[in-house]
Amino acid sequence: MALLEAENITKVFGGLMAVNSVSLTVEKGSIVSVIGPNGAGKTTFFNVLTGIYKPDGGTIRFDGETITGLRPDQITQRGIARTFQNIRLFGNMTALENVMVGMHSRLRAGVWGAIFQTPQVRQEETRARQRARELLAFVGLERRMDELAKNLPYGDQRRLEIARALATQPKLILLDEPTAGMNPQETAEATELIRRLRDELGITVVLIEHDMRVVMTISERITVLDYGSKIAEGKPEEIRTNPRVIEAYLGRGAALEAQMR
Amino acid sequence: MNKTANHAQRVSVQFNRGLPAYVALTLYVLITSALLLSNTRTSLLTDIIFVLFLMGMLAIYRARVAGGYKLVLAAVVLLGVLPYFGTRNAFYVELAIQAAIFVTLALGLNVVVGFAGLLDLGYVAFFAVGAYLWGILSTPQIAQIAPGASPVEPWMFYLFLAIGLLVGTIFGILLGFPVLRLRGDYLAIVTLGLGEVIRVLAVNLDRPVNITNGSQGIKDVARPPLPDVLRALMPGLGDAQIYQIFIYLMALAVLGLTVLVVYRLKNSRVGRAWEAIREDDVAAVAMGVPIVRMKLLAFAVGASFAGAMGVLFAAKQQFINPPTFDLLRSIGILAMVILGGMGSIPGAIFGGTLVTLLDLQILPRIAMELSALKRQGIGIPDWFDPAQYQRALFGLLLILMMIFRPAGILPDERRREELSEGEGVEIVETATSPQPEAASS
Amino acid sequence: MAVAALPTPTVRRTLRMTLASVFGPLGQVFVFVVGSAIVLSIGTLLIAFLLRGTRADVDLVQATLVILPQVIIDGLVRGFLFATIALGYTMVYGVLEFINFAHGEIFMVGAFAGAALGSILVSSGVLNALPVPLYVVVAVLVGMVVSGLLAVSIERVAYRPLRGAPRLVPLISAIGVSLLLQDGVRLIANLSGLGFNARFQTPNFGPPLRLAEIPVSEDRAIPLILDVRALTFIVAAILMLVALNYLVNATKLGTAIRAVAQDRPTASLMGINVNQIIALTFLIGGALGGAAGVLFGIRVGTVNPYVGFLPGLKAFTAAVLGGIGNIPGAMVGGIVLGFLEAFVASYLSLMTAGAFSGASYADIVAFSILILILIFRPSGLLGEAVSQKV
Repeated sequence: MALLEAENITKVFGGLMAVNSVSLTVEKGSIVSVIGPNGAGKTTFFNVLTGIYKPDGGTIRFDGETITGLRPDQITQRGIARTFQNIRLFGNMTALENVMVGMHSRLRAGVWGAIFQTPQVRQEETRARQRARELLAFVGLERRMDELAKNLPYGDQRRLEIARALATQPKLILLDEPTAGMNPQETAEATELIRRLRDELGITVVLIEHDMRVVMTISERITVLDYGSKIAEGKPEEIRTNPRVIEAYLGRGAALEAQMR
Repeated sequence: MNKTANHAQRVSVQFNRGLPAYVALTLYVLITSALLLSNTRTSLLTDIIFVLFLMGMLAIYRARVAGGYKLVLAAVVLLGVLPYFGTRNAFYVELAIQAAIFVTLALGLNVVVGFAGLLDLGYVAFFAVGAYLWGILSTPQIAQIAPGASPVEPWMFYLFLAIGLLVGTIFGILLGFPVLRLRGDYLAIVTLGLGEVIRVLAVNLDRPVNITNGSQGIKDVARPPLPDVLRALMPGLGDAQIYQIFIYLMALAVLGLTVLVVYRLKNSRVGRAWEAIREDDVAAVAMGVPIVRMKLLAFAVGASFAGAMGVLFAAKQQFINPPTFDLLRSIGILAMVILGGMGSIPGAIFGGTLVTLLDLQILPRIAMELSALKRQGIGIPDWFDPAQYQRALFGLLLILMMIFRPAGILPDERRREELSEGEGVEIVETATSPQPEAASS
Repeated sequence: MAVAALPTPTVRRTLRMTLASVFGPLGQVFVFVVGSAIVLSIGTLLIAFLLRGTRADVDLVQATLVILPQVIIDGLVRGFLFATIALGYTMVYGVLEFINFAHGEIFMVGAFAGAALGSILVSSGVLNALPVPLYVVVAVLVGMVVSGLLAVSIERVAYRPLRGAPRLVPLISAIGVSLLLQDGVRLIANLSGLGFNARFQTPNFGPPLRLAEIPVSEDRAIPLILDVRALTFIVAAILMLVALNYLVNATKLGTAIRAVAQDRPTASLMGINVNQIIALTFLIGGALGGAAGVLFGIRVGTVNPYVGFLPGLKAFTAAVLGGIGNIPGAMVGGIVLGFLEAFVASYLSLMTAGAFSGASYADIVAFSILILILIFRPSGLLGEAVSQKV
C-alpha cells in the first residue's frame, strides 16, 4: 500500500523551476532514495513534502489523506518527520530537551496544565522524559543526554537529529543527506541506524544521499532528479545502468562510454 | 592570574559552600538588617545600607545552602525586616513596591523577549490597558461613558486583578495576531508603533466620548478596602502607613505568584517550544511546534501579567495619565530584562530591582547631593540634574550590555553561551558537569 | 567623469544610460507624487460630497476644495521630509539587513547643527547679511557633515562590534544609541545655551509667495500661498534625490554599494572593501538625514532633542511602505505617506465636525499603514530589493 503519493509536484522560484512536475510514490515499510546532482531540487522537494514551501502545483497524499498546503507542524503531526541537510538542532538546549521538543505535538500540557502542575501533566512529563531517554538510547546517545546539542561531535549531532525526528512518532521519515561529512566508519554506523529505523521501528524511510554505496546498499527503490525533473526511477540495479542517470552525473561522454561497455 | 585575585577567589569559594556559607549568609543578612533598622532617616547612608540589604537577596540566591534555609531567610528579609522598616520610613517601602511592580513587568516581558525571542517595544501598552480598566471603572469617569453608571465597589479590586489578567490577554492576542508572522526586527518596530498608538489614544479619547479624560488623566482611583486583620496586626499605626504595607504585601504576593508561574512555564512543554522557536524557528515548526500559535501564547502570557499589574498600579498611584505609559517606560522594562539576562528569571528580578533603584533612588540621590554641594558654593551648574537623564542611563546600559555582556549579569545558563559565540566557550553550569572549583581543589 | 568628454558613440550611450539610470527612478517617484495627489484629492472630495449636509455651518465640498492646494503642498513637504530620512534607513538596511533605530536621532542632530550654526551666525552678526540661497547651502552642508560623521562613528563604535551577532543584538544597541543621543544632545544644548527648545535662526526668507487667488464668492477670494521655506525644502530635497540617484546608479561607488547589498561575501571576494562601503553607506544615509534635519529646522523654527523620534518612525514606515532596501521605494513610500498624513491631518477634523483631532490621528494612520503593509504586502509598493534566502 502506498504511504506517500506525491503527484506532479512543481515549485517555482522567480523564473526558476526548482521542482518540475515530480511524482513519487513510497510504499509502506520501504526505504527509498532520492538522488541527483547538486542543485537538482532534492531538498526543495523535501521542503515541499514537509510544508516548508507551498507547492505551485501538484498534490500530496499521505496515509490516505491529502496534505497539500498544510502547515509544516500539521504535516509533522500527521506523521512525516525530517532531518536537515545542514543540521538544525536547538544548539543551546540539551540533547534530551531537543528530543522532547520533537514530542511537542504528541503531548497535551498547555499553559494551565503547566502552571498548576496537574497530576496528568506531571505524569506526562515523566513519561516524555523516559521516552526521550529511550530514543536517545536507540540512536546510541544515552550517555550524552545532558550535553548541549551544539557541544556534541558532528556524527552525534546527526544521530540526535534522527532521535528528535523519531520523537514526533512518524510513520515516514525524510532524511536529508544523513551521512554527509562522515568518515567510512561513521557512514557504516549511520547506514545501519537507517536500516534499524525500518526493521525495528517499522518506519518508512526516504533519504536524499550522495554516497552511492549507501544508496545502492540500502535502497529498495531510487528516484533520480536532474534540473528539477525526474529522469529515472527504479531498483538500484536499474538505476546503476540507466544511461540518462550516468549522463546527468558524469556528462554525455561517460554515458556513451558506459553504453559501449 | 595575579595572586590576590586568586586568593580572593579561593576565599569566595570557601564562603560559598558548606558551613561557612550558612554562617556568612546569616551574618550578612543580620548585619544589614540591623544597620537598616538603626538608620531610619532617609539619607545617603541609608540608601547605601538599603542597597546592601537588598543585595542580601542575591547572596541568598547564589549561596549553596539548603533550599529551605534560603526560603526562611528570604521570608525574614521580605516579610519581616522590610515591612517593619517600612513602618519607620515610608520612602523605602515605596521603593520596594515600585521595584516589585517593575520586576513583575520585567518577568512578563522576559516571557516574550527572553523565552520566545520576540522583541516587544510596546509592552507598556498592556500595562496601560490594565491601569485604565481599573481607573475608569472604579471612578466617576465611568459615568462619562455610560451615563448613569456608578463606579464599581472598591472590594471588586481583587476581581479586577483577574479581569486585568484576562483583558491583558485579550489585548495581547488582538495586537499580536496580525504582527507575529513578521520578522523579528519588523516586530520590534511594529510593537513600538502599537505602544504609541495606545498612548495617543489615551491622550485623545476624551472626544467625542470622554473615555480616558485625555491628558488630564484620571484622579481618585479607588483602592481596595484595608483588611481589618492588618489593623489588628499593626496596632498603633496610622491607616496610611498600614495601607502602604498592605500594598507592599500585595505587590509581593503578585510577584511571588508571577515567579512561580513563569518558572513552571519555562520548564514545561510550552517553555521548551518557545525556546525551540527562539533557537531555530524552521526546525521548530518541522518538529511539529505550531510557531504562530506558540508566539501568540508568549505574547498573551506576557500581556496578561502587565494587565493585572496595571490594575494594581492604578490602585496604588490613585492617579493615572498618559505620560506614565510612554515609550521610555517600555524601554526601561526592556533594559531590566537585558541587564539581568534575556530568558533568565533571576536575571529579570535582579535587573528590575537594580534599574528601579537606579531610576528612583540612586540618581535622585546623586542629584540631591549635588545640589547640596551647590548650596555650599561648589560650582555645579544648574542644568546638571542626573535624575533627568534616564534616557542616557538606559541608552548607555543597552549599548554597553550588548557590546560587552549580551547575555546579561545573571544569564540563563544556556542563553549565556548563545550570545557570546565566538568569544570562546564559557563554563556552563549544568546539573551534571563538575564544578570548576571542585576540580581544582 | 573625464571619459564623458570623448566623442565616441559608446560614450554617448553611456551618457544616455547615465541619464536614464538617474532620472528613471525619479520619473517613477514623479508618477507616484502625481498619482497619489490625484487619488487622495478625488477620494477626499468624494467623502466630502457624501457627507455634505452633515454640518450646517460649512459647505464641506467648498471647504475641502478651498484648502486642497495647501494640503497638497503640505503633503509634498511632509513627503520629502520622510523620503530623505527614509533613504538612510533603506540604504543601511540594504547593505546590513539592520534597522538603524538611531537614524531619527541622526536627523535630530542635523537639525541641532543647523540651530547651532544659526546662533553662531547671529552672534557674529552676519546672519541677516547672508543671501538666503547661500545660507541654505551652507546650513545644509553643515548638517550633512555633522550627521554623516556622527552616523559613521556610531556604526564604528556601537554596531560594527556586533556584526554577526543574533539580529536583535545590534537592534537593541541601536535603541540605546537613540536614547543616548537624545539626552546627549539635550545636555549639550543646555550647556551651550541653545536651550531645550532651540531657536532655529535663519535669515529672512521674505513673505510667502502668492501663487493665485481662488474666488470663493463674489467679494471674497482665498489666496493660494506657498511659503518660501516650504519651497526651499522641496527644491533642496529634489536636488539631493537627483544627486543620490546619480551616486548610486551611475558611479563606481554606487555599484560597490549595490554589490555589497546583493551579496556581501561575494562582493568582498571581488575586492570590494566591505567595511569601507558600509561606513560609506552610513555616511551617505547620515548626511541625507542631517540635510533633512536642517531643512526641517528652517521650516519649523524651533527644534528639541526629541524631534527625531516621530519623523524617524514614520520615515521607517515610509521605507517599509516603498519596500525596504529599495532606494526609489523609500522616496515613493515617503511621498505617499506624506500625502496621506497631510490629508488626514487637514480633513479629519473637518469631516467629523471636530470630534477627532486630525493632527493626533495622523500618527495613528501612519502606524496603521505600517502594520497593514507588513501584513498584506511585506515587500512594499515597489518590492524589496534584497532577496530573502531561505
